Amino acid sequence: MSLQILINGLALGSVYALIATGFSLVFNVLKFSNFAYGAMMTCGAFFGYFLSAANGWGLVPTLLVAMVSGAVLGLLGQVIAFQRILNNNSSPIYFFVSSITLGTLLEGFVTLKVGANFYNYPRFFESSTFKIGSVIISKSDAMMFVLSAIALLLLAYVIKYTRIGRALRSVSFNRDNASLMGINVTMIIRLTFMVSGALAGLSGVFLGINYTLYPTLGSLVVKGFIASVIGGLGSLSGAVIGAVLLGMMETFLIHLIGSGYAPVVTFLIMLVFLLVRPRGIAGSNVQEKA
Amino acid sequence: MCKGKKFSVVVMLIVLTASVLAFAAGSKEAAASEIVIGSVQDITGPTSSLGKMVDSGARLAIDEVNAKGGVNGKTIRIITYDTKGDVNEAINAFTRAVTTDKVSALIGPPVANIALALAPISERYSVPFLNLAIDPKVQIKADGTPYKNMFGMQPSADQQGSIMAQYAIEKRGFGKFGIIYNESNAYAVSLLAPFVDTVKANGKTVAVTTSYTANDKDFKTLLNNILQAGVDAIYSPGYTQELILITQQARAMGFKGALIYGLDAGPPFNNLLGESADNIYFINNIDTTEPHLEAITKSVKATQNIDVTNKFFLGYDIGNILVQALGAVGSDSVAIRDYVENLKGYQGLTGVITMDAKTHFPLGLEMVMHTYEGTTPVVLERYSASY
Repeated sequence: MSLQILINGLALGSVYALIATGFSLVFNVLKFSNFAYGAMMTCGAFFGYFLSAANGWGLVPTLLVAMVSGAVLGLLGQVIAFQRILNNNSSPIYFFVSSITLGTLLEGFVTLKVGANFYNYPRFFESSTFKIGSVIISKSDAMMFVLSAIALLLLAYVIKYTRIGRALRSVSFNRDNASLMGINVTMIIRLTFMVSGALAGLSGVFLGINYTLYPTLGSLVVKGFIASVIGGLGSLSGAVIGAVLLGMMETFLIHLIGSGYAPVVTFLIMLVFLLVRPRGIAGSNVQEKA
Repeated sequence: MCKGKKFSVVVMLIVLTASVLAFAAGSKEAAASEIVIGSVQDITGPTSSLGKMVDSGARLAIDEVNAKGGVNGKTIRIITYDTKGDVNEAINAFTRAVTTDKVSALIGPPVANIALALAPISERYSVPFLNLAIDPKVQIKADGTPYKNMFGMQPSADQQGSIMAQYAIEKRGFGKFGIIYNESNAYAVSLLAPFVDTVKANGKTVAVTTSYTANDKDFKTLLNNILQAGVDAIYSPGYTQELILITQQARAMGFKGALIYGLDAGPPFNNLLGESADNIYFINNIDTTEPHLEAITKSVKATQNIDVTNKFFLGYDIGNILVQALGAVGSDSVAIRDYVENLKGYQGLTGVITMDAKTHFPLGLEMVMHTYEGTTPVVLERYSASY
């Protein structure tokens, strides 16, 4: 495998890592897969585009706007779509249905607002690449890798070393016990959705910069889900490892057998892997709700 | 049932019957004074920008005629059906148009995947379907005879592919090509063989041919294989969004060579790209710098706030061809079909259109090779489709 392919795979993996982490975060706390995450990515990316990029505000404000709007959407989504289900201790299937419904609704709103056309983020860099030896690295890929790493390390630090992080872990372990220990479970769950939404906004902008901006951009969430499954659903470190592996594997397979067969082989490898190790790489011991 | 209730039911039935009869009479009256044609287009979905343009162009042509009193004293009503870029939706729309709405003729989409699905179904009816799909399989059956109702209203993929290759070899001197195309898109696939055959016939080489699928957005790995072969030019007959990503990623990887694209690299590609479009060559149906086309472009921008593209002019031509047919033979769909099949020397905005009855594609319709200087389109060469 040439170094260029490796770099391309790493860049792709870092995008998947962001998606997978936001996805895993909610699963970690509530034990269900939030399939509205893709639409939240799209919304965040469009907010970033229309509120800042289109007005010539530059990359940092665009990312901030996308993250804030993603966080707000995450909070609204939790309140509207999931809070009542949580309160009623309803059947797990409702989480799944509700997340699909919310995702479809958000995507529908975006399509109504912006039409079915695609948009292109303005160029944030004077030149788009730099070279290290014979390897060409895209600046947006490099920046995406660095910012993803920073965001994920920051998240890991918060979860491991802060009071909020400890509260989040205890809610993840057992909501009733956490409540008895005086933790405001509802607040922690909402915070989780907000952080997940902020990561969705960040991923959305990166995806928009790399692959143009369109209403079904969120369909890429499937890759994040696959990465989460490979890594071990509910494990944040597993999600990152799974995402990088998936990115590398896809890139390598495309190089080797072409784009048409690459997804087939990717899914085949995933199936075999899950047969051998159903809990994924990190081996999180969780039962998914839906 | 009490007397009061019986009376109410009788009154309601009388009112209902009267309403239905009045509506039917009104419909007949309306039908007598208007001709209905259908426009089956991608109004929403991934190729909506193309469908909306064709529809707008056709509507302008119809509106202009209606403003002058219509055809033979009848106004033309155009019904638009949204395929949503989906084959099943398209089939349902087509069936509704010919069976329920009883259209005299249909204007089809510039999307080969959709038109391919409609071609066999069109055989069951007698309604002409004037479309813009360039894949010959849309107009011609496997036995080599044309579908009776399908008509391609722009040069075929065979003609366009060979023109692009011919231009690249003769005028630019390119000898080594790399190809990247969407294997799930009939339009892209149909433009592959004519280009490759022309390259090989001229003694030049295609070093690498690689394909992608509709869901792909990251082309860097595929492009890497092409770049390593040291090609003079990359040929990619895709849709606009794909072309933008391929351009950005190829340039980001340091490719300085030429990029040869199909129709969808025409404006607004240059404005959507977000960077200079130098060294990109593309084929187009029109010379956008022609004064009368510029005038229409400005007029439509002023009145409808639409930035027209080549698909608009193609739609406009189809609309006017149908108007001419309606004027000549009336609203009978079979007569319109026969008229279109024998169309000769129609002077449209996209050129002089003469229908070839053997292929159901125009004969010798010109195409125009373009490039960009920065983001400004520049006309390079006119080609009659004799390749």
